[in-house]
Amino acid sequence: MATMGNNNLNAKLVLLGDMGAGKSSLVLRFVKGQFLEFQESTIGAAFFSQTLAVNDATVKFEIWDTAGQERYHSLAPMYYRGAAAAIIVYDITSTESFTRAKKWVQELQKQGNPNMVMAFAGNKADLEEKRKVTTEEARLYAEENGLFFMETSAKTASNVNDIFYEIARRLPRAQPQNPAGMVLVDRPADRSQSAACCS
Amino acid sequence: MQEPELHDLSDDSDYAASQLQQQQELKSMSRTDSGKKGGDNEPDGAEIVFVKDNVTIHPTQFASERISGRLRLIKHGALLFMTWIPYKEKTDCTAQSSSSNTKLSERDRNLYTIRAVPVTDIRSIRRHTPTFGWQYLIIVLSSGLAFPPLYFYNGGVREFLATLKQHVFLVRSADDANVFLVNDFQDPLQRSLSSLELPRAVSISNSSSTPTLASSAAQNDNSERTDDGSSSISQYGGRHGQKVHDPARDLSIQVLEKFSLVTKFARETTTHLLREIQNDGFLANDTKKQSQPLTNDNHETGLDDAQTVPNEISVTPDPLENTLCRKENHFKEAATRVGTFELVDSKEFDKLTLVWGQPRQPPLGSEEWATFLDAEGRILDSKSLRKRIFYGGLEHQIRNEVWKFLLGYHEYDSTYAEREYLASVKKADYETLKSQWQSISPAQARRFTKFRERKGLIEKDVVRTDRSASFYDGDDNPNVTLLRNILLTYSFYNFDLGYCQGMSDLLSPILFVMKDESESFWCFVSLMERLGPNFNRDQNGMHSQLFALSKLVELLDSPLHNYFRQNDCLNYFFCFRWVLIQFKREFDYEKMMRLWEVLWTHYLSEHFHLYVCVAILKKHRAKIMGEQMDFDTLLKFINELSGHIDLDVTLRDAEALCVCAGENGAACIPPGTPASLPIETELLYPLQDENDV
Ligand SMILES: Nc1nc2c(ncn2[C@@H]2O[C@H](COP(=O)(O)OP(=O)(O)OP(=O)(O)O)[C@@H](O)[C@H]2O)c(=O)[nH]1
Ligand SMILES: [Mg+2]
Repeated sequence: MATMGNNNLNAKLVLLGDMGAGKSSLVLRFVKGQFLEFQESTIGAAFFSQTLAVNDATVKFEIWDTAGQERYHSLAPMYYRGAAAAIIVYDITSTESFTRAKKWVQELQKQGNPNMVMAFAGNKADLEEKRKVTTEEARLYAEENGLFFMETSAKTASNVNDIFYEIARRLPRAQPQNPAGMVLVDRPADRSQSAACCS
Repeated sequence: MQEPELHDLSDDSDYAASQLQQQQELKSMSRTDSGKKGGDNEPDGAEIVFVKDNVTIHPTQFASERISGRLRLIKHGALLFMTWIPYKEKTDCTAQSSSSNTKLSERDRNLYTIRAVPVTDIRSIRRHTPTFGWQYLIIVLSSGLAFPPLYFYNGGVREFLATLKQHVFLVRSADDANVFLVNDFQDPLQRSLSSLELPRAVSISNSSSTPTLASSAAQNDNSERTDDGSSSISQYGGRHGQKVHDPARDLSIQVLEKFSLVTKFARETTTHLLREIQNDGFLANDTKKQSQPLTNDNHETGLDDAQTVPNEISVTPDPLENTLCRKENHFKEAATRVGTFELVDSKEFDKLTLVWGQPRQPPLGSEEWATFLDAEGRILDSKSLRKRIFYGGLEHQIRNEVWKFLLGYHEYDSTYAEREYLASVKKADYETLKSQWQSISPAQARRFTKFRERKGLIEKDVVRTDRSASFYDGDDNPNVTLLRNILLTYSFYNFDLGYCQGMSDLLSPILFVMKDESESFWCFVSLMERLGPNFNRDQNGMHSQLFALSKLVELLDSPLHNYFRQNDCLNYFFCFRWVLIQFKREFDYEKMMRLWEVLWTHYLSEHFHLYVCVAILKKHRAKIMGEQMDFDTLLKFINELSGHIDLDVTLRDAEALCVCAGENGAACIPPGTPASLPIETELLYPLQDENDV
């Protein structure tokens, strides 16, 4: 959900993608500027927040990092429900992760909120020599599906901040008199907090 | 297994949908049992005054596990009895009646049958009317036992209560219109419970305009006018102060009762501690506190109020801590001085927290270990061994020997020779299993997607499991390869379950302790016998865990439970990692191994890990409620507790909670919840769809 007060926007963002694609690494790079070679797998989910300044406004991202294994798929709706943005991550060295990313896109298109800003991230771009998914293939897919696409590397930090900035830029800016761009929330927890929400 | 694919814990609409599904299933069920109604006969002279069909219990929260039966009130002479007899034929909702399910239900049917309970044994009945689903009743006996909730699929709650009222003294509680007290109030236990509860009653009366109960209770102490069936609720409340403060939580009352049975030792410790605190001046006459309404007296509404006043959040005191102090009053002071405890700042009670968890002992060392073994190597008294380990853990150098017993890989009564023989047989078995995947040629692998995917998952995870520990660090570490081999072999050994994230975390300490590949494998197999269902695709193991956890918190800290409910945290998903990998990531390696061996003793409970969860949550209850954490913040907070949990304190608290909860705690935990040994080994792991490997 994106909520706005003055020029400050709160946006819930969820990271989805195959296990080991680098979701946690991307968040960690963005939030703490770190990269761990042996980043532990995510059990359950993790939550982070980070604020970005975009033009004259700030966007506070509330980031949900999920567990990638298909086994835990059934828990994902709890996290993407009410999200204003999603980053769907795949690993450019793994075609399976690309396939799985496409499934996530489908699921979000079906179940997620229609105004969700979706970013498609081809991670581990530093591993060019092991690449299995071409940039062209991914870009084409992203264009067809109205996602914006970047190849990232949590390791080198390439495009990591950029992808979050781009999301921040694209988040719908609801005007108080025109809340059409606002995201309706169906999660009760969000309702209880939405007193501050201008919608 | 017919679990819906997206089984979201927190999703009310999903729940509503499943309810719908159940209702449909129910229709077919009613059809099946309609022919059986004249089945059971009554003894002569008995009169059935009430009968209701399709009264159902839900042993777990899963739609697939329902036991339906007939509830009756039977009058025999002057006595009224209640019975609930499950239907004999299979009428619950498991459409695919697999053999394992039938057995489970049969067993449960016997377990849950209510055979002619005299209604005089019932202390209270609580009526629940959920927004979704059926009305249900929780019936609590004076013995301290509570039956599982009885769901009235065909309605009839009102008639049931009305019928009861015609035959026994049934009074609606003053504070909660949904609680009905069934009692003659002559029972000495009841009376002592009343006096235990007086302090809180006093504070209520202070904040309202009713006469102070301290005086009315004193006056009424000798009056036993219970014949007056028409006595008004307020009168009743005056006479029996305990029901005034919080009749809503029958189960908590059970807990309070447990406290009255606390050993003399604990009492003395408490007394001592309290005196110390008094001397330290903590028991100051802070009258401010007195005028504050105690929100846990009526938490259903109390916390709503608190939410509208975001500043100055008063954290509802821990009911257990209050109980302790109330006890203190009870034993040390006359009822005329019962107000004392209310004057104590609740913060100071952190110091008193559950003081009677036993002090931790030094770990069991090899010399002492030898005393548990007879000449042939049998462990004669496994119970005292488990107790010893429960209270102290193991010195590291004997872990590789003792863990095998704790995990059930070795039998306690096996001899050295038998174990040696077993090891060699098991080694050969392991090699056979391992060769199953080792012999897969590259050409075969190309046509064996599941294998390739599974291998891929495992390889992704082993290289990021505990790599900062020296045992697993560095490039091409052979121990990482061992992890991989064992997990891959396990995924062939238990092909239905396969590999799930989290398993590498569970295996890593075992391999670290055992060193040996085959033994690690078999110990891991034993551990997964207990924990495997947590990894089920439909998440039913974890559902049971978190459901049980929520019940335990409700029992042991209802204000906290209410807080979670009002903040939509009731799915307890923030404890997912704790439970799934048994706190593996919450402690340093040594502490984690200590915790695991304590859990594995199954000494006080097979589900001690859940009490550990409650203990940690309670430790931070003031912060959680005081800072009004929402689900997101809570999850972050809990994840960040990692590395900051004091294990010894937690274990002592968990022990105290477990002892205190007693059977009521055990009753919170659905049958089959890991780490119980599975009831049935077949069909534990429902087959996955093609995405899952
Ligand atoms: N070379 C390289 N490695 C990366 C990059 N991002 C992540 N990794 C590595 O890939 C592995 C998996 O990364 P994670 O961030 O844990 O992946 P995840 O998507 O969070 O995985 P799950 O939590 O299991 O769903 C780790 O060993 C990371 O060090 C990257 O940009 N380049
Ligand atoms: Mg991760």
